[in-house]
Amino acid sequence: MTDTITFGQEISNLLHAAEGEPLKTCIQCGTCSGTCPVAGYMDNSPRQIIALINLGKKEQVLESNTFWYCASCYHCTVRCPQEINITELMYALKRYSIWKNRYKEGLIGPTFSEAFVKMIVRGGRSFEPVLATSYIFSFNTREFVQEIQGATELLLKGRLPLLPARIKRLENFRRMIGRIIPMGGLE
Amino acid sequence: MDKKDEKEKIGVYVCHCGTNIAGVINVEEVSTWAAENLKDQGVVISREYKFMCSSLGQELIQKDIKELGLTRVVVAACSPHLHEKTFRNACKGAGLNPYLCELVSIREQDSWVHTDKVAATEKAKAIISGGVSRVVYHEALEPLHVPIHPATLVVGGGIAGIQAALEIADAGFPVYLVEREPSIGGHMAQFDKTFPTLDCSACILTPKMVDAGNHPNITLLTYSEVEKVDGYVGSFVATIRKRARSLREADCTGCGICWEKCPKKVVDDVFEAGMGNRKAIYVPFPQAVPKYPVIDRVNCTYYIKGTCKACEKFCPTNCIDFAQQDEILTVEVGNVILATGWDLFDTRRITQYGYGRLPNVFTSLEFERMSNSAGPTGGNVVLRDGKTEPKVVGIVHCVGSRDKNYNEYCSSICCMQSLKFAHLVKEKTGAEVYNFYIDIRTPAKGYEEFYHRLLEEGTHFIRGKVAEISDATRLPSEEGKLVIQVEDTLTGNQLRVPVDMAILSAGLEPRHDSKALAKLFGISCSADGWLIERHPKLDPIATMTDGIYIAGCVQGPKDIPASVAQGAAAAARVMGKIQQKEIALEPVRATIHEEQCSGCRICNNLCPFNAILFHEDRMVSEVNPALCQGCGTCVAGCPAGAITGTGFSNEQILSQINGLLLLNVPKKQAVAA
Repeated sequence: MTDTITFGQEISNLLHAAEGEPLKTCIQCGTCSGTCPVAGYMDNSPRQIIALINLGKKEQVLESNTFWYCASCYHCTVRCPQEINITELMYALKRYSIWKNRYKEGLIGPTFSEAFVKMIVRGGRSFEPVLATSYIFSFNTREFVQEIQGATELLLKGRLPLLPARIKRLENFRRMIGRIIPMGGLE
Repeated sequence: MDKKDEKEKIGVYVCHCGTNIAGVINVEEVSTWAAENLKDQGVVISREYKFMCSSLGQELIQKDIKELGLTRVVVAACSPHLHEKTFRNACKGAGLNPYLCELVSIREQDSWVHTDKVAATEKAKAIISGGVSRVVYHEALEPLHVPIHPATLVVGGGIAGIQAALEIADAGFPVYLVEREPSIGGHMAQFDKTFPTLDCSACILTPKMVDAGNHPNITLLTYSEVEKVDGYVGSFVATIRKRARSLREADCTGCGICWEKCPKKVVDDVFEAGMGNRKAIYVPFPQAVPKYPVIDRVNCTYYIKGTCKACEKFCPTNCIDFAQQDEILTVEVGNVILATGWDLFDTRRITQYGYGRLPNVFTSLEFERMSNSAGPTGGNVVLRDGKTEPKVVGIVHCVGSRDKNYNEYCSSICCMQSLKFAHLVKEKTGAEVYNFYIDIRTPAKGYEEFYHRLLEEGTHFIRGKVAEISDATRLPSEEGKLVIQVEDTLTGNQLRVPVDMAILSAGLEPRHDSKALAKLFGISCSADGWLIERHPKLDPIATMTDGIYIAGCVQGPKDIPASVAQGAAAAARVMGKIQQKEIALEPVRATIHEEQCSGCRICNNLCPFNAILFHEDRMVSEVNPALCQGCGTCVAGCPAGAITGTGFSNEQILSQINGLLLLNVPKKQAVAA
C-alpha cells in the first residue's frame, strides 16, 4: 500500500536471518558499546547508531565511521540482552553505504571493501600484491612506507605469494556469487 | 430415550446487546426465523430484547418459563464467560434447572468478528440452530457439595508463608506450616536492612517468627518437605516427610552446647551464602525458630567415620539420637497456600562478570550477609581477605535480569536493593560508590524518595549495562583493582572504572524445583518457572486448581511489602472458604463407564488436575468428581470412548454440529434462509 519505507525498515530488510525490525527492541543499555574493543575509534558508538537508525537519521548514520571500524569480533552480539545481531547490522550498513555510494570522506574501509570484493569475484582468491596496490595510494606517505616495509618482511619470509592463485571452474563460482549478491556496478 | 415421545418446549431469546450485536446482525429477522424454522425442534417461543441480561430481560425469560411451561432455554447473546451464570440463575429463579439453559455466543463469535451484515445474520441463525439442537440433550444437574476441612497447609516459611499462617491461625483455624530448612524465616532472615526505611530486617521479622512458633493453632514442621498431595478442595491429604533432626525435640532446650563442642566446621552455603561457617550440628542463626539444632548427616564425623559423638557426650539433657528416622506424616487440610519463594540467579553463568574467578566480586546475598552485624564479618564491609576496607565500590544492576540470554523479566527488587547497598557501603566505609544501571525502577511508596536521598548522598550513577569486569589492567591507576568496563550511555563515552569491590545485584529466579512443585500440587507454572495465577490482574492469589493459593515470590519477583500483602490476601481467601463450611462445585464433570474402561491408564497422566485415580484391584480408572474441572482432555484421549463429559456428551456435540449445518431444518426452508 505505502511505497515509502522507513530507513529503519530498509536496514532491517538487509539483515540476514532476522524478522521484522529487531533494532526496535533495543533498550539502549550500552552493552554493545561497553564491550566493543574499537569503540574508542568510532565517532558514534554502536548503541548510538541503533538509536540514530530508530530515529530515522539516515544522513548522520551514513556519515558515521562506526560500521567501517567494526572488527567483526561478534562480542556485542554475544552479550546483547535483546539478542540483536549487531555485527550483522554493521555489515548491512556497509552494504547499504556501498550500494548507495554514500560514505564518509577519507575512510579506507569503503575503498578496501570494494577492491577486496572485486578481486574475489574476478579470481576467486585474495591476492595481496594486487589488493594492496588498489588502495595503498590513498594513504599518506608515512603509512605508505609502513605498508611497504610490512609487505617486504612478509615477502622475505615467504608469506606473500608472487603469483596470483586461481581457482578451478571460475565461471561456476561467479554464477554462484551472482546469486548471493546483486553485483550492480561491480563488474 | 423418551426425547422423541415427549417434545421439549424450547424458548429462544436473542439479545441486541445495545448495538454490539444489533449493529451487525438483524436481530428481529433472526428471532422470527428461529420461531418459524425451528418449530420442529421444539421451539415454542422466540423473542428479542435490547439487553437480555438486564433484570427486565431476565424477567421476560422467567415469565415464559412459568406461563408457557418451557423445559429448555437458549439465549443468544455474549460469551458464556460473561453471562452464563446470569441466565442460569434466571432459569433457576423460575424453577427450571439451571443446566437446562444454553448460552450461545453471537457477539464474540459473530457480530464482533464480522462486517458483512447479511452473512453475519445467517451465521447467527446457524449458531442458534446448533444451540437448539444441543439443548434438547441437556440433563438436569445438581451442583456437588463438599465439606471444607478447617485446617490449612502453608508450604514455605518465609515472610509470605509466616504472614499467611499467622492470619489464619489468629482467626482460630489450624495451620500446618511446612519449611524445608531447619528454621523458618526464609530469605528475609538473611538480610541486614530493608528498603526504603532501612529498618533492621531481623528486628521486624523475628517477632513474627516467634509468634508463628508459639501459636497454639500453628503446627510448625521445619526440616520437612511435602511429598505427596491427594484429594481436592475442601479435603486434601498431604504426605509430609519430617526429616530426622537426629535429636529428640521434646528434651532439647536449645542451650547451644552441642554446636559449641562440635569439632566439624562446614561452609554454610545456605544461610551465610558461603561467606561463613557453621558446625555439623547447627541452628542456621541464633534467632532460629524452632530453637532446636539439626545434625547435617552428610558432614557429621559420626555418620562418616562412626566415631566422635562429641555433641552426645556434652548434651546436658541427653537428647541426641543418632539413630532417629525420618517421620512420614499425613495431614488433612481443606486449602493449601504455596509460598516457597525464590532462588538467587547463579552469577557464575555470566562469565564476563568474573564471579567465582575474581575474589572481590560479590553477589547481592553475600553482601547482605557481610553488612549484617550478626554476619560472618560482624557487619564490616571488607574485601575477600577479611580486613581491607574498599575505597571504591561498583554496584552492577540487572545481573541475570532483563537479558534474553538469562532471564527476560525484570526482577523488580534489584534497583532498590542496589540503592540500599550503595547507602550501606557509604555509611560503613565512606567509599566512593558507583551504580551501573539501565533504568532506575523505584515504583512504590517512598522508593523514589530513597533514590533522591542517594543522589544527595553523592553516589555516582552511570547509565549503562556493565560489559565486563576484569583484573586485566591497562593504566597504572588500574593496578591491583577490578576494572568495570561500561558505556556511559548518557554521554556516549566508553568508561573503564577501577574499583576495589564489585557487587552483582543478581536477579530472582524461581526455585530450582518449582516445576516439580507445580506438578505435585497439580497447578501450572510459566516457561520461566513462576507459578501461574488464576488471573494476572483480578486474581493474582488463586490458581486454576480450586483450594490452592499462591503467595510471595513463588508467583513472581516481588519485594517484602508485596509478599506480606499477598500472604495476608491468600489467608483471607482461605478463611472465606473455611467460613462457608461447604463448597458447591460445578457439576460439569467427566465420568468413566467402568464396563467400557480397558484399564490402559492413558487418561491417568493426561489429566492436568490429577483427578483420575486407578483401581488396581478392578483394573479400571475413576474420575474424582470433586477434583475434575470438566476440561474434557480425558474424554478426547480415551481410546475406548469410555469417558463422557457431563454437558459435552457425544449426542450433545454431534447434534450441535448438525444444528450448525442446518441439517435439522427442512431443506427448502434452509435454502430460503
